[in-house]
Amino acid sequence: MITLFGKRIRLFRPKSIWIRKVVQWAFFILVALIAVNHTLAESGASIPLLANASLHAVCPFGGVVTIYQFATVGTFVQKIHQSSFVLMIISFLLAILFGPVFCGWVCPLGTIQEWVSNFGRRLFRRRFNHFVPVKLDNVLRYLRYGVLAWVLYMTAVTGTLIFAEYDPYFALFNFWTSEVSVLGLVILGVTLGLSLFVERPWCKYACPYGAVLGITNLFRVFGIRRNEATCKADGACSIMCPMNIPVDSKTVVRDHQCISCLECTSEAVCPVAKTVQFSTRVALRGAK
Amino acid sequence: MTLTSKTLAAIVVVVLFGGIFFSSAMGWWQTESTKEAAKITSGEFAGQANPADIRGSYTFGDVDKNFGIPPAVLAEAFGVKDSNLAAFTVKSLEGMYTGSAQEIGTASVRLFVAFYKGMSYDLSTDTYLPESAAVILRARNLSSEQSAYLAKHTVSNLGATPATSTPSAPQTAPQATQAPSAQSTPNVETPAASSTDRTVKGTTTFVDLLGWGVSQVTIEKVLGTSMPAAQVTKIKDYCTEKGLNFETIRPALQAKVDKVK
Repeated sequence: MITLFGKRIRLFRPKSIWIRKVVQWAFFILVALIAVNHTLAESGASIPLLANASLHAVCPFGGVVTIYQFATVGTFVQKIHQSSFVLMIISFLLAILFGPVFCGWVCPLGTIQEWVSNFGRRLFRRRFNHFVPVKLDNVLRYLRYGVLAWVLYMTAVTGTLIFAEYDPYFALFNFWTSEVSVLGLVILGVTLGLSLFVERPWCKYACPYGAVLGITNLFRVFGIRRNEATCKADGACSIMCPMNIPVDSKTVVRDHQCISCLECTSEAVCPVAKTVQFSTRVALRGAK
Repeated sequence: MTLTSKTLAAIVVVVLFGGIFFSSAMGWWQTESTKEAAKITSGEFAGQANPADIRGSYTFGDVDKNFGIPPAVLAEAFGVKDSNLAAFTVKSLEGMYTGSAQEIGTASVRLFVAFYKGMSYDLSTDTYLPESAAVILRARNLSSEQSAYLAKHTVSNLGATPATSTPSAPQTAPQATQAPSAQSTPNVETPAASSTDRTVKGTTTFVDLLGWGVSQVTIEKVLGTSMPAAQVTKIKDYCTEKGLNFETIRPALQAKVDKVK
């Protein structure tokens, strides 16, 4: 750490939040094992001491799509169980406090997109994640709310888990079963293919659950906050943001696309200590 | 208050697993259906299990528990040949009928159960049944609307791949629970496995007769008594059970079958 023009600058900084990668890996492996174990259990054998629930049972979005039926009829949409409801509540609680940490730290579909994006970043370097024209990108970002509205409406009308047909997350962990539709596999393939050019394309443009959790960015307790007084405006935070949020032009990130990955913070890419932080409003005021 | 990545990681993991642990302790963490169909809340059938709530994960045994339809009848209806019918899952039908132009699956079971129990069913959607199921249902008390729907939604030549290693083997009734109202069916054969030459014999079931076009009213007139609830019962067994002489009944029934020809 050195002081240059009155600002404390870290010479050697981590480029990424390594603990997030560890958590992402852990959840990816856990969900994959549960999915495999579910298949094994159906054939009479299963891995002991490991849950063999269906993927629907461990997906919080299942809780969201069944809210209407639960409120009107008192039952869950078929294939959805009470555990989905529990996970939905836990994820909402986390999101109200920290924003969509489920997306940035837990969701295995987000994780696999990031893995593919690592290759894309090496292939295209600075062009990576900047292929989509900004104007078009700004419009497409709201597409996921359309997807969310459609999924909720169709599920309410049909009483069936209509989204499972299209869900790349379900396809990812069930591609070896007959339950997966061809369309789901195609959407998964397209998502992973696009991840070579764009960081988290599914999350940005189509994920209905990301749309729900993204709303909490508007009022979350902890948020990404930039201290203008110490910021040297190098734009590193904006360049690093996987969701292309212009962090360097904001004092508080309230963008509905933020996934609370902390990659923009002083703990990762920002070279100035305590300048971009994940904090409450009070903490930032104290730092000024 | 400022959070570091390590603190946030710890919070995420603790809240997620802590929440699951807490909900487990409270009995809220259920990853499987209770296999109890939701009850109908209003109308003529209020309080009864709702056929529309049958899930793909239900076994024939679960359907029996909820609706009192023996697994043997369901097996007969859907051409299932399995050593343990009560454990046969409804969703497995989709895999059996992959050759069918129309989907035969969980929705088909819902429709079958509703019609079998004389309950209403949403007829605005297209749900299809195999001929063997339609044969059983035609003998039930269907409304004209239901009969018309059934006529339009019955599929023959399905190309089903029965879930058994011996497709031609006789179908035996399950050891699992059966509804008290249902008749016991110790030896049951599928229509295809039994008298396809329209000859009434010892192995002929009521389903066969109905399939050959003899109405329930006609059969009951010949028998002098009502037909059993489980139409997969062999006529000979039923006659023995009711103290009727099968050798007297058989030619009378044969005459009715020949009349239909």
